[in-house]
Amino acid sequence: MIKFENVTKMYPGTSSPAVDNLSFTVPTGEICTIVGPSGCGKTTTMKMVNRLIEPTGGDIYVLDERGETRNVLEMDPILLRRSIGYIIQQIGLFPHRTILENIGTVPQMMGWDEARIRSRAGELVEMMNMPLEFLDRYPHELSGGQRQRIGVARGMAVDPPVMLMDEPFGAIDPINRNTLQNEFLRLQQEIKKTVLFVTHDIDEAIKMGDKICILNVGGLLEQFDSPANILAHPANKFVEDFVGADRALKRLNLVRVDEVMDAHPALLQATQSVEQAVGFMHEQGRKFLYVIDADRTLKGYVRLRDLKGKTGWVDEFVEPAATAIRVGTNLKDALSEMLVVDYANVCVVDAQNRVRGLVNTEMIHEAVVESSAAIGEVGKEQANEREG
Amino acid sequence: MTTDVTQMGRRNGLWREMLDGWVKALTEPSLDAFRAQKGRADPLKTVIGVGLLGLVIGLWAVVAGPASLATRPDAIWVDLLRIIFFTEADFFIISLILFFIAQGFGGEGSLIQQSYLLSLVVAPLGMVVTAFLFVGDKLGLTLAAILNPLSPIGIVSIFIILFSLYGLLLLFFALQAAHEIQSSAVFYTVGAPVVVWGILRVASMFVAQEENLITTEWGFIAGQWEKGTLQELLLGHLWLVAFSVVIAVVLGVVMGVFITWPSRHPRLSHVVVLIPLALFLLLWAASSGLMGEAMGDSVMTTVKGWDRSLMRVEGFFAAPCDIVGAVVSKPVAVGMIGAAFTIILYALFLTGEAASDLTLYILGIILTIPSVALFGAMIGTLGTGPFNAAFALILYSQLPIVRNTYTGIKAVAPEVTEAGRGMGMTEWQLLLKVKLPMAVPVIMTGVRVAIVMLVGITSIAAYIGNDTLGKYIFDGMNRAQPKRYIAGAILVATLALAVDYFLGWLQNVLTPEGLKGRREAA
Repeated sequence: MIKFENVTKMYPGTSSPAVDNLSFTVPTGEICTIVGPSGCGKTTTMKMVNRLIEPTGGDIYVLDERGETRNVLEMDPILLRRSIGYIIQQIGLFPHRTILENIGTVPQMMGWDEARIRSRAGELVEMMNMPLEFLDRYPHELSGGQRQRIGVARGMAVDPPVMLMDEPFGAIDPINRNTLQNEFLRLQQEIKKTVLFVTHDIDEAIKMGDKICILNVGGLLEQFDSPANILAHPANKFVEDFVGADRALKRLNLVRVDEVMDAHPALLQATQSVEQAVGFMHEQGRKFLYVIDADRTLKGYVRLRDLKGKTGWVDEFVEPAATAIRVGTNLKDALSEMLVVDYANVCVVDAQNRVRGLVNTEMIHEAVVESSAAIGEVGKEQANEREG
Repeated sequence: MTTDVTQMGRRNGLWREMLDGWVKALTEPSLDAFRAQKGRADPLKTVIGVGLLGLVIGLWAVVAGPASLATRPDAIWVDLLRIIFFTEADFFIISLILFFIAQGFGGEGSLIQQSYLLSLVVAPLGMVVTAFLFVGDKLGLTLAAILNPLSPIGIVSIFIILFSLYGLLLLFFALQAAHEIQSSAVFYTVGAPVVVWGILRVASMFVAQEENLITTEWGFIAGQWEKGTLQELLLGHLWLVAFSVVIAVVLGVVMGVFITWPSRHPRLSHVVVLIPLALFLLLWAASSGLMGEAMGDSVMTTVKGWDRSLMRVEGFFAAPCDIVGAVVSKPVAVGMIGAAFTIILYALFLTGEAASDLTLYILGIILTIPSVALFGAMIGTLGTGPFNAAFALILYSQLPIVRNTYTGIKAVAPEVTEAGRGMGMTEWQLLLKVKLPMAVPVIMTGVRVAIVMLVGITSIAAYIGNDTLGKYIFDGMNRAQPKRYIAGAILVATLALAVDYFLGWLQNVLTPEGLKGRREAA
């Protein structure tokens, strides 16, 4: 848990506060994204938690590893910082130290022995989907995305209950950023950290946040709520403008493919004969179908025109599918994936590549229509309230 | 008829091809130009080209008659043929030697190709150089004339040197094109025979007991070594350098770190901090009579009055009052205390970045003081021994060390320090575990510059009676013995090079492994 209570920050020599009387609470195990235009004090807000910046007024509480609520202003700042994970955009890995030593920075200061540091570092590197050999490499031998993963691992070295992330994926190319975001979300399912996540990108805020804290210039809290609520009920004009006119589209970020997919799609078995398959396709009125084998693993697809007049087994005519969408992917990513390969139908698969369902552009379209209808209704309700 | 025509054509083609090859080789100094020529390699063209060079040299020998190529006027043709033959022989022997060395480095070209490419450079350039030698010879070629770049011969010799250097560059290309080996291998291919030749040449000097600079100096240095003087001076030199360097490095790095430390009270002005120094300086100046005798007398009377009245204090405060009185009555002591207060105030209020410009500026000024003057100036205070020398050496070495420590630490990326701080490192941990290790390469560069500089300046410390290698230089100049001061210069230069080489190795050892690859990281 991270709790802000009337927190204010005035920089010396300025007349208006950088953060103004801020109060909100991030529940334990949730990610709270702080988002806002530049100059809104989002980084300042974050840095006040580990007291890299001292607040001028108010109190900040965090839940420590023993489950006690502590006022950070009453703690020794050095010990406080060691107990909070800290990850920044430029990563700031120590170039003269190996990956092991980098990850071991905080454990070493906390007096862990070498063997324990090594096993913990190995654990974290594997958690980040990287080979153990990386431990003895130096930062400059790694790519940008790998370095950022190490940065995250370093932040989690002593398993701190609270983590601060300052635009952690901001300096990474869009493709890698998406991968890292998904990896972190998957990881968060297991580790359940309380995370304060600063970003300037509203899409990232919506995607990553269980809660979003929207700040305005001067550190004014405009709205603190879940992404769905913020998209559906923007508190005011500022938030409405900030989340953008494509609110309905952004809601695609919040819906997962498993919620809209057809869980019992028509599929062909690889062992079926071509005649059977052609008959089945005519019956279904389909020009092409996905093919699976006995344990529902995706084999590819066949087209009706390739099968017509042929004999033999479906297996012989299968062409590999260019893409399949993982269970848990949000609709926005799914849609962009489909647009990239120009498919109207895509299989939804699990980690073992077993088919769980099928999603097509129509289903996604329906989801958009539904959500915009919801927003529209809410808009009407709000208008009615204002009138009434 | 037809055969004649084709033969004529072939011969014409041969001459044109050869001339074309020369022009291409000389006007397009690039690897690719030589690679393009490789395909036209032809032993006949090689022999003819080198033969032409021999002919030109022979003609020069006949007309100018240098001692090394003496010809007899009654057998000009025999002599011409002899010189052409020797030119060819020399060329092919050298080419063969280069060929075998290049093979050793993994060269893949054939001897024919290599010889042809070499002849493309050697033949035309050799002719041009011979022509210039002819002109130079006619004008009287002496060392003094050559070294005077404004005399006509000087200008000619400049051309010869330039052409030779250009030729050397082209030879590198030719060898590299012939064998397709790395440029460093080419360098060694050419360098190895030159080094071997140099060693043999020097050895021959000693065997023949020639009287020249090298043998004289060698004899002198060996003689000094036998007497034990050289070891003594060398040890004295090294000891003085080592002693000063240890203190200088510690002091310099501490100061360098100090001026990068974040300042605590950045708004306090320099002027405020300098007030105690100004006050004490004023008092000192007044008491020592700098502001008039009358003022001096009155100040001295006043402080003596304080001293007397303080001495009358009894009981608990008697002892401290005695000390204060004793200090107050001595203007120099007062000045020292003022300076100390100023330094303490600086440390307390302005440390760090506010002081960095000032510090580097002062160190820069120190470096401009001539060393002899500084040695001389300190004789009054520190005498003429090693401490005077060490004091000056430490002062001189501060600028490179402090400046490089400062830049090295400043160059640590802000995100690295921010990450360290955010993870809960104390400022000390940040300094010792992050900033200093990352600054090591830069600091070591400064230390290297400082030490090599000190090896040089230490020789001047002989001026104030220290036993360093500089003694040879000063003695030699006093006694007008060139071999003595040249030996001193050679020894100091050799020592500086050796020390620099050692420090380069040390720098590499001290640099953290992760910084050795790409500098840009994280």
